Amino acid sequence: MKSQTEYKLKSAPEDAISAVKFGPNTNQFLLVSSWDGYVRLYDVTANNLRHKYSHDAAVLDCCFTDAVHSYSGGLDTALKSFDFNTTKESTVGTHGNAIKCVEYCSEVNGIITGSWDHHVKLWDPRTPMCSGSYNQGERVYTMSVCGEKLVVGTAGRKILVWDVRNMSYTVQKRESNLKYQTRAIRCFPNKQGYVLSSIEGRVAVEYLDTNPEVQKKKYAFKCHRIKEDGLEKIYPVNAISFHPLHNTFATGGSDGYVNIWDGFNKKRLCQFHQYHTSVTSLSFNHNGSVLAIACSYSLEEDNLPNPMPEDIIYIRSVTDQETKPKYSS
Amino acid sequence: MGRKKKKLSKPWCWYCNREFEDEKILIQHQKAKHFKCHICHKKLYTGPGLSIHCMQVHKETIDKVPNSLPNRSNVDIEIYGMEGIPAADLREHERQKQGSRPTTNDSGSDDDEPATKRPKPEGLLGNAPGVMQGMPPGMVPGMMPPPGMAPGMQMGHMMQMAQMGSHFMHHPGMHMMPPHMQAMMQGQGGPPKPLFPSAIPTSSPGGPGAPIVGADFKPISSAATISAPPTTNTPGGSGGDGKSNTIATSSATSKIIHPAEDVSLEELRARHPRYSRNVPSKVDEAAASSSQAASELAIAVSAAQQAAAHHQQKQVDAMNQHHAAMMQQRFPIRVTAGPPLMTMSAPMMAPMRQMMPPTLIGGPLMRPPQLSMPPGMLGMPPGMVYGAPMFPTGPVLMQPRFR
Repeated sequence: MKSQTEYKLKSAPEDAISAVKFGPNTNQFLLVSSWDGYVRLYDVTANNLRHKYSHDAAVLDCCFTDAVHSYSGGLDTALKSFDFNTTKESTVGTHGNAIKCVEYCSEVNGIITGSWDHHVKLWDPRTPMCSGSYNQGERVYTMSVCGEKLVVGTAGRKILVWDVRNMSYTVQKRESNLKYQTRAIRCFPNKQGYVLSSIEGRVAVEYLDTNPEVQKKKYAFKCHRIKEDGLEKIYPVNAISFHPLHNTFATGGSDGYVNIWDGFNKKRLCQFHQYHTSVTSLSFNHNGSVLAIACSYSLEEDNLPNPMPEDIIYIRSVTDQETKPKYSS
Repeated sequence: MGRKKKKLSKPWCWYCNREFEDEKILIQHQKAKHFKCHICHKKLYTGPGLSIHCMQVHKETIDKVPNSLPNRSNVDIEIYGMEGIPAADLREHERQKQGSRPTTNDSGSDDDEPATKRPKPEGLLGNAPGVMQGMPPGMVPGMMPPPGMAPGMQMGHMMQMAQMGSHFMHHPGMHMMPPHMQAMMQGQGGPPKPLFPSAIPTSSPGGPGAPIVGADFKPISSAATISAPPTTNTPGGSGGDGKSNTIATSSATSKIIHPAEDVSLEELRARHPRYSRNVPSKVDEAAASSSQAASELAIAVSAAQQAAAHHQQKQVDAMNQHHAAMMQQRFPIRVTAGPPLMTMSAPMMAPMRQMMPPTLIGGPLMRPPQLSMPPGMLGMPPGMVYGAPMFPTGPVLMQPRFR
């Protein structure tokens, strides 16, 4: 679909895209990590590639700490930082296995990494060293920070909630309410809870407050499923991104669809057209007017498609009509 | 009798200003007149509902609520019966009523029974005690409307107002918000009530006494997990046989588009030789904050990994030796630092264990490694390539492409 609301980024990564992240206060810069071993910085408005730097192996996640500094990690187990002004890169430290998640926590001004070595580590950007390592008991699959809360999703459907100001104990340990492998977790910007997706076309909305009255509000719903000839194909929900203002969120699935949901009112606000392959990562910009959509085949099926679908990043303008809860007109 | 009694108005329809005897009739009217889809005649519940229905089902946009007054045709305002009417319009309506029927008001000065006369949005706002937090339910109906408040305002608004205090009046914008939005803004106060009774949460009857946060990884409330039938083997108990969990991806009517092995798509991709080329055998030097056992472990594992790199063309004998060596390395520390150790050693051991009888593994003290994770996902030693013979249980995902 060609339209002015959406365009492809030029000079896309040459292998699957693992993460896209918009810069903190701009809709101009997009950080992209890829399985081709590079982290790229795109100027989205000019639609060009500004910088790229490499890891020794596939990069699984990246994040901005401010407009000009990025952190990234991947299969080479190293956490790297990059300064886009000076183009200076440095290795901050390593994990015992691949780094799956890299998040920035402004609350404590720290980088948080989650790894398949079962650990979450905290890093201080001022003194590039590890300031803490915390066992999660299982491989870390996904991670999200909201305020001082850190929600970690691991293999074995475990959820751990931490307070980044005091990592000496786990605030909550939960089992996922979904029966299948946890795919992604993102926290509500209003810090009330988080959204969790699984490989089985399902999304749960959960609340952090353990008050039973609050817990009653949690729920889960099916999505990213396609019925074909009486057979329902159920796709993994790979990506979640919250709209920074409206507390609504977008989900992206291996079905190639992006949906936007109003989690508090249990409504789907809109669905975009089907993309050519799996949606692997989503990112709203700081004011929620643009959504970056990364599409890469993620080997969900045993039979690989031929030819392999291209790796493409779409930049899509979204309107309030698509992202705002309907009632507050 | 200086007290001016305000007779409560009948329920009325915001869209066409018609009055009704009772809110049920009003709702029927709205569904039939204003919320009916002109294409399929389905009766929806609200204007936005109708708009979404037409958008999704018929791909048509509705810009006006059918049969509505010109200034009341907004499809974005969510109105159900008397619920959701903008406060300004409520006041205006009341004012007009007062003007048009001036005599009726002073007549029955003692018929002040707001609790019964007031249009009561039954089942909409819910009578759950949770909503009324801190306010005895009995108070609400008897309370006189504060000055300046439209008499026609319903209980819901009053409750919200009571909770929000006098600020309410100073925020004209708030009037527009449905009560559940206000509830949301009060943080965790009252649970936002869905406008439709049908949209109740799908889970958690967890009573007040239910244990909540446990260190046992039970679901947060007593509610059962939400989903289809169980699919994965019991986590934790799975690793013992060296195989990873599998997902029942197919049923008669559905198929989960995911490899059968219960590991993440990224881990599956990472197994591919293409991605293992540059993985260094780095030791975790930042283990300072971990226990000393962990760093010892890291060194041990690193040694083992380097050794493994040399023997990558793995002969069974050599591997057995390795295996024994590793077992000896890991045994003493395993007690103190279980998980990190297992993390590192498990992947290397897993394939081997499938190749030899358990009796070879070690002495009586050496228990088979507890693999709580599937093999092959972690710490793949450099140069070690997973192929079909090494990994008979997996889906051997990448193979077709590279044969």
